[in-house]
Amino acid sequence: MMRDEYLSVFIDETKEAIQNMNDILLKLEKDMEDMESINELFRILHTLKGMAGTMEFNIMMTLCHRMENLLDEIRNGRMKLTEDIVDKLFKGADILEQMLGSIVEGGSDELEDVDVEGLVHELEEFLEGKSIGRIPKDEVEKGEGKSEVEEGIPIEITDDLIHVVNEAKNKGYNSYYIRVTLKEDTQLKSARMYLVFHKIEELGGELLRTFPPVEDIEDEKFDLDVDMIVVAKQSAEELSSAVGNVTDVARVVVRPFEPEEELEKKREEERRREEVSEEEGKRVRKEERKRKKITQTVRVDIEKLDTLMNLMGELVIARSRIVETLKKYSIKEVDESLAQLSRITLDLQNIVMKIRMVPIAYVFNRFPRMVRDLAKQMNKEVDFIIKGEETELDRTFVEEIGDPLLHLLRNSIDHGIESKEERIAKGKPPKGTIVLSARHEGNNVVIEVVDDGKGIDRDKIIKSAVERGLIDETKAMMLPDDKVFELIFLPGFSTKEEVTEVSGRGVGMDVVKNVVESLNGSVSIESQKDKGTRVTIRLPLTLAIIQALLVKVRDFVYAIPIAAIDSTLKITKEDIQVVQDQEVVMIRQEVVPIIKLWDALGIPHDEEATSMNVVIIKVGNRKYGIVVDTLIGQDDIVIKSLGKLFSDVKEFSGGAVLGDGSIALILDVANLMV
Amino acid sequence: MGKRILIVDDAAFMRMLLKDIVSKAGFEVVGEASNGKEAVEKYRELKPDAVTMDITMPEMNGIDAVKEIKKTDPNANIIMVSAMGQQAMVIEAIQAGAKDFIVKPFQPARVIEALKKAVGEA
Repeated sequence: MMRDEYLSVFIDETKEAIQNMNDILLKLEKDMEDMESINELFRILHTLKGMAGTMEFNIMMTLCHRMENLLDEIRNGRMKLTEDIVDKLFKGADILEQMLGSIVEGGSDELEDVDVEGLVHELEEFLEGKSIGRIPKDEVEKGEGKSEVEEGIPIEITDDLIHVVNEAKNKGYNSYYIRVTLKEDTQLKSARMYLVFHKIEELGGELLRTFPPVEDIEDEKFDLDVDMIVVAKQSAEELSSAVGNVTDVARVVVRPFEPEEELEKKREEERRREEVSEEEGKRVRKEERKRKKITQTVRVDIEKLDTLMNLMGELVIARSRIVETLKKYSIKEVDESLAQLSRITLDLQNIVMKIRMVPIAYVFNRFPRMVRDLAKQMNKEVDFIIKGEETELDRTFVEEIGDPLLHLLRNSIDHGIESKEERIAKGKPPKGTIVLSARHEGNNVVIEVVDDGKGIDRDKIIKSAVERGLIDETKAMMLPDDKVFELIFLPGFSTKEEVTEVSGRGVGMDVVKNVVESLNGSVSIESQKDKGTRVTIRLPLTLAIIQALLVKVRDFVYAIPIAAIDSTLKITKEDIQVVQDQEVVMIRQEVVPIIKLWDALGIPHDEEATSMNVVIIKVGNRKYGIVVDTLIGQDDIVIKSLGKLFSDVKEFSGGAVLGDGSIALILDVANLMV
Repeated sequence: MGKRILIVDDAAFMRMLLKDIVSKAGFEVVGEASNGKEAVEKYRELKPDAVTMDITMPEMNGIDAVKEIKKTDPNANIIMVSAMGQQAMVIEAIQAGAKDFIVKPFQPARVIEALKKAVGEA
């Protein structure tokens, strides 16, 4: 059946649409007058209605239709958006999501225990007194065209542009603003648009600006409309009929372009939405275009990608083996092709890795709504800020990291942010702030949840840990702050006396820690009383293949991830000094502690030679040196887990098969020296 | 008599299909060509009112054929026939002087619309 064929596309797109709905509703909640968002929401619902209708999900269609009607009234100024309506629309989005869930599970939009009818009825009540008997579709088409064009022109009016337009005027040319809309099922849109441009130029007209820019049009990064500024000798009617005559052009709007007037209009618009600054408007547009870029994708089963990654790993091992074997013979011809093989596998590996990368926005996107709901539920006021949502990381992480982050956010809202009264009493701004951010740092992805709440109470944690028998009281008092905070990660730890629905069910931070560590990552907490808490999650970029420096201690080979290495150097015995029982070396006026790998790993070792190799490691802001016997060289290694049995081993993060078939253990540099 | 059309496509099936659509709409198909070279020759010989021109063809492709035809008749009405994903080629053809294009698989109405526009009947 046709329907099945399109179902997965429908599901994906609907999911995206609902997500967008939530985002826009959040924006609208802050600024009920934001016409752009209202229009956008209307458009989303309209599309959704169409899709649901096509797929014969009639209940979903009806719901979308009612919401759409309501928004239509609002955007045409016949009704005002109120908090009540926004709440109902949120509810609508929820129900749509549940319907989608049910469609994914069983294939129907009928929900047993949800009162869809009720909501539809409530939506109708808002519309009461206004006839809704019109055929909505026609209205949509007409409405869309009108209201959009009457708004300001989306093209930035620069001094340059004004200059050119005035110049043209002096030479007897007219300037026009033209909006061309293609038919909805137009194929090869950019070629079609090109034909439009060609037509205008054929008439002796000249294109000054387009929106989206020409490059984007060439890449088909536009929907159906293109706006342009054109100078030509012809009248508006002549232009309109010539362009309108191009095949597949659905509508042409031509009107004289007066830069000063347009500028004035733009200024007015700006004034109207004081809060949404011009900058933001541009950013939104940019984001829209970005989103369009993302949609040019092929959907691939994740299992296939996993297989690809595994094969890639095997390929890297096989290559290393060949290289290793052929080294003995040093044949010149082979060297060249081997070098090429290495380059290709490296490229291939990078691409495979990139294929698996997705923007963290996939996880972050669902949080704003959740934070809003939770904060409301607990009567707290929270500003939620997301940063770096374009940061990419391995697909596997994206799936796994969602729940831990959710938990951290819950904690921040529930335990962190104080009530409004409490905050005012403390002299803090009444609204709390939670920042969720992601960024790349070397070969790591760093995700942080920062709140400006009450911070973690050291004494409370110690008390709680002692009560639960997790630690000895006298010992606990001696611990530095960061060690105390680490107690939170112990299984069965929860300080909230009264278990709330939101957090504090006892299954908490230990789960967060477990998940992150299972992904080869780490978690840390910083906190200051009444200032706030910062939880930092550090994840590797990829799970599978890393570049490593191979080093030797006696006959044992170890691998050190290149990403963690700052430099390598040779030192003599005399360079080593002892400061507070710790051996250190001076490197460029910097005191760097060193550790002898054989001591760290308990390998019996003879008195060291006079000259030694040191690998300088950089972990976060911390530097230290590892002394080894020999440096072997750099290689790509495929990380294999050591398995559950060795999960307590802190010194190693895994093992790898080397080119000669032997095994090297991978040093966990973050834990080697504490 | 209707306007005279030359159909150029290397696939006989496509030519048949187009011929069907075009003649049903009252045009007269005066000739067919299966590659660019043949198209240029036929054009000189027949002087049709409009041409439908496939892009990918053996011997001489559609774009080169457009260039050749335009050399002898700058006013030639040529409509490119493109498959999906040949955007860049279509643009090249328009630069070379093609008036319009249609996309496979055809929708008869679109083919006719394009032809009528090309010969100035719409």
